[in-house]
Amino acid sequence: MRLVVDLNRCQGYAQCAFLAPDVFAMHGEESLVYNPQAEQEQRERVARAVAACPVQAITADGLDGCAGGTSDAAH
Amino acid sequence: MTQTSMLRQITDFANRANPYPLYEELRKTPVLHEEEDGPYIISTYHDIEALLHDPRISSDESNVTVGGDDELSGPEATGLPPSFIRLDPPEHDRLRRIANSSFGPPHRPHRIDDMRGQLEEIITELIDGLGDAREIDLVDQVAYPFPVTVICRLLGVPREDEPRFRAWVDPIVAGLDPDSRTAAESQRTAQEARLQLGMYLNGLVEQRTKEPREDMLSDLVHSSGPDGAMTTMEVLSTAVLLLIAGHETTVNLITNGMLTLLRYPQYLERLRDDPGLSVRIVEELLRYEPPVQLLPQRTCIADLEVHGVTIPKGSRIWFVLAAGNRDPHRFTDPDRFDPDRQDIQHLGFGSGIHSCFGAPLARLEAQIALARLAGRLDNPRLVEDPPPYRPNAVLRGPRHLNISVDGIK
Repeated sequence: MRLVVDLNRCQGYAQCAFLAPDVFAMHGEESLVYNPQAEQEQRERVARAVAACPVQAITADGLDGCAGGTSDAAH
Repeated sequence: MTQTSMLRQITDFANRANPYPLYEELRKTPVLHEEEDGPYIISTYHDIEALLHDPRISSDESNVTVGGDDELSGPEATGLPPSFIRLDPPEHDRLRRIANSSFGPPHRPHRIDDMRGQLEEIITELIDGLGDAREIDLVDQVAYPFPVTVICRLLGVPREDEPRFRAWVDPIVAGLDPDSRTAAESQRTAQEARLQLGMYLNGLVEQRTKEPREDMLSDLVHSSGPDGAMTTMEVLSTAVLLLIAGHETTVNLITNGMLTLLRYPQYLERLRDDPGLSVRIVEELLRYEPPVQLLPQRTCIADLEVHGVTIPKGSRIWFVLAAGNRDPHRFTDPDRFDPDRQDIQHLGFGSGIHSCFGAPLARLEAQIALARLAGRLDNPRLVEDPPPYRPNAVLRGPRHLNISVDGIK
């Protein structure tokens, strides 16, 4: 699955790094490092990170039916 | 003054069940200062957000020079040095960095994620413990025991000591409520419990210093980063902070959550079918019914000008997070509980350098608790609405939440 973080929006809350620690990592105090081609088995965790990001900086495809859903899945 | 001041109305218990009309009134005067020695009350989203990032705002009690203690902001009598929630940089930064190095990324990215299974186990045990009851008190039976058990596991309190630990925590948490009828007695009991808890933790810290284990206490005393390790006193005040700050708030998040879901049963139903919805529900709860309604413990270290009002150096400043969260200049249709809301940058965890340390754990606890409760309570109904509230205006939440059910699945 592909994902992208809008680093102009990212404020370094690090919630994604707690929720999907194998996809998002903190480099030092403030910079975010992430795997833009996350493994499929990380779907649930990535979905939680997308939903919990305080500034909605994370976009990922193929999350339908996962935790929190995507904007498409919301109804 | 002929009219009752807004400040008195906020602290008035009669308004506890629904303070939101008061907050709407508050927002009409973005910087409200009603009494000479009283606090300056800030209530709109953008002002709160900006000032929580302003280095002239201080959390250090010793910078307060105007007026005395007000009802909500008295110092915590722990007998311990101030924890990082009541400190400014650089002391705050050092202690929070050390605490974080044993809690989250970059040093411990898996600590919280690895607790997921334990949290599921604990909540399952608590819900199993409801047996075949037809009426439950969600607060006493689930929401209250859950976070204290979690914090025990996180710190590294051995399981056999958990009941003793909880017996000390209960009066301390009860002592946070400014209930004047029992104040003197409950303060004495709380003080005694703090002492016992401090001595117990001190013993545990000594043990972990000699024989470290996989827990936060061990990490705190052995921290070897550029900030060095914490002293024993610093470890103790940090542990007590995590315990107190992480307890009542989480109880209220879970209880406010269940209360709100029972008032909006369409979301309870959706949550039952889709446990993943808990992520969005919890974010919206943190906006709509935040467990910490206001931050009463800030001051400023220089004169501040906000909307043409000068706030003199050393004044008390209240940030009413729950009012900012319902500011119509920030959120569309703010009084509607809407977990499908896309724009949800709430102030429920504060903002800036003191932004809630335990947020990732609190989120996870509330998500898991609400998803499991939705799945297992058969036809839950509120016994009374509104439920009885705790006296506390800052850490606001129901004292009991009685729910009738057809059974536990």
